[in-house]
This record gives sequence, C-alpha cells and structure tokens, in this order.
Amino acid sequence: MDEGYRILEHPADVGIEAFGHSVEEAFEYAALGLMSLIVEPASVDPSEQRFVSLNGTDLENLLVRWLSEIIYLYDGEDFLLSDVSVKHLAQGGLEATLTGEKVNENKHKLRMDIKAITYHQLKVDETQDGVLLRVFLDI
Amino acid sequence: MKIEGLIFANPELIKAIEQDLTLTQVANVATLTGLVGRSLAMPDAHQGYGFAIGGVAAADMEKGIVSAGGVGFDINCGVRLLRSSLRLNEVKPKIDPLLNQMFRDIPCGTGKKGVVGALGYEELDRVLERGAHWAVEKGYGSSDDLKHIEETGRIPNADPSRVSKRAKERGKDQLGTLGSGNHFAEIQYVSDVFDSETAQAFGLFVDQIVVLIHTGSRGLGHQVCTDYLEVMQEAMKKYGIQIVDRQLACVPIQSPEGQSYLKAMASAANFAFANRQMITHWTREAFARVLGNGDLQVVYDVCHNIAKEETHRVGGTSRKVLVHRKGATRAFPKNRPEIPADYMNVGQPVLIPGSMGTCSYVLVGTERAMEETFGSSCHGAGRAKSRHAAKKDITAEELLEDLRHKGIQVRGASKSGLTEENPDAYKDVNLVVEVVHNAGIAKKVAKLVPIGVIKG
Repeated sequence: MDEGYRILEHPADVGIEAFGHSVEEAFEYAALGLMSLIVEPASVDPSEQRFVSLNGTDLENLLVRWLSEIIYLYDGEDFLLSDVSVKHLAQGGLEATLTGEKVNENKHKLRMDIKAITYHQLKVDETQDGVLLRVFLDI
Repeated sequence: MKIEGLIFANPELIKAIEQDLTLTQVANVATLTGLVGRSLAMPDAHQGYGFAIGGVAAADMEKGIVSAGGVGFDINCGVRLLRSSLRLNEVKPKIDPLLNQMFRDIPCGTGKKGVVGALGYEELDRVLERGAHWAVEKGYGSSDDLKHIEETGRIPNADPSRVSKRAKERGKDQLGTLGSGNHFAEIQYVSDVFDSETAQAFGLFVDQIVVLIHTGSRGLGHQVCTDYLEVMQEAMKKYGIQIVDRQLACVPIQSPEGQSYLKAMASAANFAFANRQMITHWTREAFARVLGNGDLQVVYDVCHNIAKEETHRVGGTSRKVLVHRKGATRAFPKNRPEIPADYMNVGQPVLIPGSMGTCSYVLVGTERAMEETFGSSCHGAGRAKSRHAAKKDITAEELLEDLRHKGIQVRGASKSGLTEENPDAYKDVNLVVEVVHNAGIAKKVAKLVPIGVIKG
C-alpha cells in the first residue's frame, strides 16, 4: 500500500486506514484522514500552530488518544487541522506540531461531526514496509 | 460466555443481524463479570462498538460491572414526543412556513452552536445537576413537562465534578442544538391507533399532529464516554478484569471509578434532558407563531443510551441491578413507581422513531418485558447500510423529490447528511415493531406518519 489514508465503510459508521513508512508518518496520515471527514481539507489554511504531547499505554491506546485529541481540538476549541508533524517518543508517547486555523463557517465547508474514536477492530500493523493503522469512528 | 444470549427477531431480521458482528458482540457481552439473566439484543440490533446497538445487559449492583461502552458515546440519546390539539388538515397547508420557522429557531447541523451562547462553567454545572429542571427554571417550558420525562428529566446522582473540563468545553456552546447524523425533529400525525384505551391515556387520537424530537448529549456526552473508556481500561488492571474487546472496558459498579462514571454519566444524561426541553420550547414558539397554537404537551421523553439502577426479578428473587441499555428503550408496565401518575393504569410510553420519512410508533411497556428483558424494548429501525453506501444509492435531490411525493417536506442542514439518512439505509421499522409486539415486550398503541422533517 502507498503511503496515505483511505476511508473505510462500516454498517453504522466510518473508518480510516492509514499507511506510513514509520509510526510517525502513519499517525500523521490517520490525523489527516480524520480531518478530511470533518472538513474539506483544501479550505483550511495553516495560520496557527499548536503543540500536543501525549502518552499511551501501547500503540493502539496512543492512536485512540491521538485521534481523540484531534476531535477535541475541533469540537472543544474549534481548531481545524491543515497539516501535522508527529514525533514518536522512545518511552511510548508522542509529540506533535499541528498547523491549521479556527473554524470560520463562511470559509470552511464542514462535513460531519465525529462523536468519538473507538477500539472496534482497531489495528496497528508494523511490517518491514511500514505501519498500517485501522480505526473506526462513531459518527 | 458466562450467561446466555437472546436475540429477538423474525426470519428476515435475523438474516440482517447475521450479516454483521451483532451475534459476536452479544456473545462478548455475555463474558462480562457479574451479569445476571441474559445478554439481550432487540430486533433492531446491529453491529456497534463492544456492545451491539440494540443491546441490553443487567449487572448485579454488588458484584457486577459497569461499562461506559455499554451506554455508548451519545449518553442519553433519546426521543421526546409532543402532542398538539391540532389535526392534520389544520397544519398541512402551513407545513412550509412551520418548518422554515423551526429550522430557523432550532440550531442544527454540523458544528452548529447553540443560540444561548457559551455557558459559563458554573451555569453548565447547574445544567448537569438539574437537567430539564434547569431548563424549566430558565423559562424553557413548564413544570408540568417534567412529569412526563423519564427520571423527571433529572437523574439525581449527577456530579459535575466527575465530568472533565474537556467534556465541558465540548458541551458548553452545544446546549440547545439538535446536532447532525441521525438526529431530527419531525412533525407527524397519528395515522393509526391500535389500543384506544392506552392512546387515550397518552392523549393521542387519529389525525392528531404530534412532534418527535430525537437528540442527545452532544459533544459533552461523547467526551464523557471517551474519558471513562480510558479510566476503565487503566483501572481494570487492578481489579483483575479481562475482556475480549477493548471497547468493553468495565469496572466494578461499587469501585471508585465505577461510581465516578455513573455520576458523570448522569450529568451527561441531564444535559441531554435539558437539550430536548429547550428544543421543545422553540418548537412551541414556532407553532404559536405560524399556527397561533403553541399548546404542545409532552407525552413522554425516553433515554435510548443509558445505565439505570433498577429492581428486577431474577430467577424468582428480587434483585437490584444496573441495566445497560445501548440503543434500547425502558418499557415498564403499569403500576411501576417510576412511571408518571397519569400513566399508572396503562404503562410507560415507549417511543420508537423510524428512519427519516417512514413512520414511527408509540408502544406501551408490559409485564412481559419485566420477565424477559429487564423492562426493555427496541429503539428504532436499526441501520442496515453504511452511510457511504446510503449516499451512493440516491442524490439529495432525488431523495427530497421522493419524500415530497410521499407528502413529506424536509429541511436539512446538509445534502450529504440527508442522503446518509436515506430511509433505505435502515431496516423496516414496521418489522421491528411487529417482533416486539408479538414477543410481548411492548405493545403497539399508535403509528405516526411524518409530514415534515428537520435534519441536522
């Protein structure tokens, strides 16, 4: 699979599959995939920067926390993501630099609200080629 | 599995249920600690997260567990039915201006903020403590409304200090909003009455205009569930709890984490009750303005996603249990102390919304439900197709034309939201209700047909 993300189907909801050559890249694509469900990505400008630091008990948990953070930043603080750079830390957490801007209803075409990230059929596959992530969302 | 599983269905519905992971999920729930009776699925069941949507499971209050996933992300997602004194022929000619007014007055759709503006934390805490009572105190409706809400619109053990700042951030400017997804407000009329005595007790008659409101606790509830899934996963280790699916994370009910979750859940549930109360108020105002008659009485307001401490007979003895209803409706019979005084002789109204533009039902709770399902019944039609597949089937224009042809006007915040809720994406609510009725876990009272829909 090429690096990037694709949207998956689920009878009740939607999922994201993201592939990167490293954990970092896969996590970045997963966040961009999530954001593409919330808003038309091309409409978001990188006018503001945010920093995020997270811990996780394992990679699956870290992925859920990471994407839950993106949902929170949108739903709680009106922040839309245009790009992201993730650094995976040796002790299991991550640090990320997010660029984007605040929601402007006249400018951004919002697509859907996402309730939450789930552990349903969650997958973190580390292979020789890279890292494949799969996660389903409750919408 | 530690207990049996039981699924209510007919040959057609079981085929749909077998196509996804519903059966596995019913079996997975049956492996949880301290459950009593059976792991249940209602006929509208479909695959969910951890628990199936349409799942019911009861845990012993002393030895059992509570699971945040067993309630779900949209805590107290539920429905409220309002009855008017108007008839179909009085409203039909004015349906367009009425819908326009409601669509203007009720904030709905993706990212929509409430018109009350952002609440301060202190005020939000009062909403979480007092639920629909807070809304009535602020002038949204009257105290009479509270008599006809599950728990009178306020679950008493709420403690806002157990709700995270993040959940409050997500919720504070979403109070009084319908939201998106499958949430709606529908203007309907009573097309059929199946049980005239009960219908009369509920104040329902043929041709009467009613309004059905379907929404929940918005971002606040979603974040409460997200937060406590983390808390429960971490705490499970110290209680030695093993689970087969991480989404089933759970803790003993009597543990500090379990008690904390139930207080946070009650707070989120109260937010949802306040939300539906405010939307009721704006619906009344729209009716008054357009039709000169804003007299809309609350028939009932039920939770579809909740965990409740209740007393049930299990194996011949009376036990206190925590009933998880994940996409299921309480369906208590007559003479239960929890139901409104004026319904004491008939039983609790059970409100079943159909998919957009089809039909909905009012049922009544039964003694049989107490014996079979911890006093629970179905909650809707149940999704059969993914949102993506639903969208591919039809364009928004085709769908609107189709609905107009059936005499249903629609106001939707987004075209994509409309097609995702294409009625063909759902199971037939008529089949679901027939199964419930024939199994006796709720009885049909009235059928409601929409003439106008407001979608998020």
